[in-house]
Amino acid sequence: MGGILVRRLLGAIPILLLVSLITFGMIHMIPGDPAVAIAGMSATPEQIANIRRDLGLDQPLLRQLWDWYANLFRGDLGRSLLLGQPVVQATMLRLPVTLALSAYALLLTLLIGLVTGIVAALRQNTWIDQAAMVLAMIGISLPSFYLGLLMIIVFAVGLRLLPTGGYIALTEDPLGWLATSTMPAVSLALLLAGLLARITRSTMLEVLRQDYIRTARAKGLPGRTVVVKHALANALIPITTVVGIIVSLLISGSVVIETLFSIPGIGQLLTQAVLNRDYPMVQGGLLITTALLVLVNIGVDLCYAWLDPRVHYDGA
Amino acid sequence: MSRGILAPVGVVLSAAMSLATAQAEQFKCPRTGGNFVFGQEANINTLDQMTSSTISTRNIAMNIYESLMTRDENNHPILELAQAMNEAPDHLTYTFKLRQGVHFQNGKPLTSADVVASFDRYAKVGNQRSTLDNVDRWDAPDPATFVIHMKRIQPTFIEALSSFSVPIVIIPAENRDVPAQQLTQPIGTGPYQLVEAIPGSAVKLKRFDGYQPNTSFQERTGFGGYKQACFDTVTFRIVTEPGARVAGLRTGELPGVEDVPSKSVADLKQDAGITILPLKNWWIQIASPNVSNPPTDKLLVRKAIQAALDMDEIMDAASDGNYQLNVGFQYPNQPDYTDAGKETYNIHDPELAKKYLAQAGYQGEPVVLLTNKDYPPMYNSALVMQQQLQAVGINAQMKVVDWPTSVQMSQNTTEGWNFFYTGWGTQPALGALATMQFLVQPNASYKPVGGKDDPDILAAWNDMNTLPTPEGRQNAFALMQKLVLERVYAVPFGAFTKVQAVRSNVDGFVPFRIPRMSNVWFSH
Repeated sequence: MGGILVRRLLGAIPILLLVSLITFGMIHMIPGDPAVAIAGMSATPEQIANIRRDLGLDQPLLRQLWDWYANLFRGDLGRSLLLGQPVVQATMLRLPVTLALSAYALLLTLLIGLVTGIVAALRQNTWIDQAAMVLAMIGISLPSFYLGLLMIIVFAVGLRLLPTGGYIALTEDPLGWLATSTMPAVSLALLLAGLLARITRSTMLEVLRQDYIRTARAKGLPGRTVVVKHALANALIPITTVVGIIVSLLISGSVVIETLFSIPGIGQLLTQAVLNRDYPMVQGGLLITTALLVLVNIGVDLCYAWLDPRVHYDGA
Repeated sequence: MSRGILAPVGVVLSAAMSLATAQAEQFKCPRTGGNFVFGQEANINTLDQMTSSTISTRNIAMNIYESLMTRDENNHPILELAQAMNEAPDHLTYTFKLRQGVHFQNGKPLTSADVVASFDRYAKVGNQRSTLDNVDRWDAPDPATFVIHMKRIQPTFIEALSSFSVPIVIIPAENRDVPAQQLTQPIGTGPYQLVEAIPGSAVKLKRFDGYQPNTSFQERTGFGGYKQACFDTVTFRIVTEPGARVAGLRTGELPGVEDVPSKSVADLKQDAGITILPLKNWWIQIASPNVSNPPTDKLLVRKAIQAALDMDEIMDAASDGNYQLNVGFQYPNQPDYTDAGKETYNIHDPELAKKYLAQAGYQGEPVVLLTNKDYPPMYNSALVMQQQLQAVGINAQMKVVDWPTSVQMSQNTTEGWNFFYTGWGTQPALGALATMQFLVQPNASYKPVGGKDDPDILAAWNDMNTLPTPEGRQNAFALMQKLVLERVYAVPFGAFTKVQAVRSNVDGFVPFRIPRMSNVWFSH
């Protein structure tokens, strides 16, 4: 397993270098620059030119690319042009916020999605199956932004159960974190739970039709054992693949939700960085986020090997 | 006029007159305590006030920092950290005596060495460092005195020095060499000090217990005056989604918010627990022509466009109904206001427009309206203008990009666009001088041919800056506005109203260019 991990990590390096090059090219291809954002709407061209000069944005593009890679190999991702903070510091301040929110949303997604999918599969073609799939379809169809707004109106303005927005760190006040994170996490989770429920249902149905399930039932094993030990264990492999994708979707989906609920996460940070052309922040932030997603995918691959002993990564 | 308000320049100005009566009537917080949470519409990028001209930064930073001079409620220059200012008879030296007993939020007393360091840093990284172009040097002959020596006479220098667009805020001397954008721990002399700033989420301030109010005044006025921090803490929460701001106001989580959407105002007015506070004349919605690109290089085409426009329709769509028709580049409540050139405004005469087009020999060349969707008022005004131009036979086309792109295109190229949409907010509030700089080089928004100013416009601008009397400078402004409108170097549509709102238990909150947190308190 250790060898697999090392090989996968080494394989990630060219991916990250390629991503950083593409990111650099794309963000610099877009017209506009951070000086406009820093200067504000009423700024004169002279003010914008002053900022551009101060930030070194008047340097040739190749020089800026060279500096970016030279600093990268020294472990320096630069300093955000707008925030004045080192990119690593700005990212690391916000990453735990997004990760905590994503973990909460992932937990809800797994709970709702897996249970709904399994129950629907076990009760195929009953009203329970129909109802579960209609709910899953509604979850998939509702934009998370709209769902979030509806939840604010109902649970914050109407029932006064939860705050309309803001964020309290988990380490600072766990109950406060739960209060501020529940609506954002549910908004994120419902969409993905619907997706997971449908995939879980179809995977389970396929597994439940297999001969070894019929054999297990014929041997007189209890229904719960057949479902949990034999059916679900085998259905987990494709579901694990989907979970890997869901983690990526949670992080990208957090962009909208963090903005709506005023949560200082990585999604909001990167959105603002792109809109304001904060080149170092976009390049460094995306590099770190990509590295995180690569690690998640490596983790998913390792899970395959753990879930299914037949899976090997030795290239044989 | 309050004591301390600046008298006409050229005289000794002291803010310590009639001190005894002032002290008897000075503001005292009726109640203290509480955390006031204010829902702010825009993200902040930095609290380094010298290097930012954004409203969102100023909203917060102006509660932390103070300057030698600032503006009062009616936009007149007033002393803030200076106790007195003496302008030499030759108008080449300004001597400031600093107020005594003022401390920074790090506990260090304010001296003229800090003022020198602040001017040094501003000259190096300040966004509006051109304010100091006519300044030869500055020095500090003693710890309580700061002197500015001019290269040449500039009658408008005090107006520029007291500007709050990118104010020369006074910082501790040890921050002199901090690079631009990197002053992440702001320390000033204002009534509130920073607790924490989480970009994208919130900025928390707390009362600065060592704050020394300006006893030359009785009350807060504009950005200055006698200020007191009544709240224990103030939290600016960034809530960019309008619906979420309204929800927070309704629940009381946000006792104050800015930029209430027009469609919510009627509902909120029904709520006895909420006070709606319209702030008229927030910004001037404007389109700048490109006179270096056909067909708007022809005056008759520009006059045809001007004649075709119905400003009521444009402003209604742009502002969701929250607007006032307004001629020119100042607001009616300002001392500089003039309606010179009013005959060119809101003509809405399609036949006249067609006549001008015929005279110009217009052959259906595209008129490209460069706008963005980041600021819906700009997009909406362009959309309505396109319809109105098409109605008189002009081939008006929209080019929609994002805000930074549209700014860059409008500044870096004269090709591919004919009108650029923007809003002038802070500059008109600062006065005619700050506004009209947008119409001369190097900032001329109408892209004069070959980069050379229209000589008549330039002459009027020079008079605005150099004539010795205020009356002469005001006449020069009126002439410049008239010329700009007659030659269609700018198309101002009208003035926006920005709506703020507070819960009814918030007292003392008066809308201004920033949400001022001093002299505001919870009544219960």
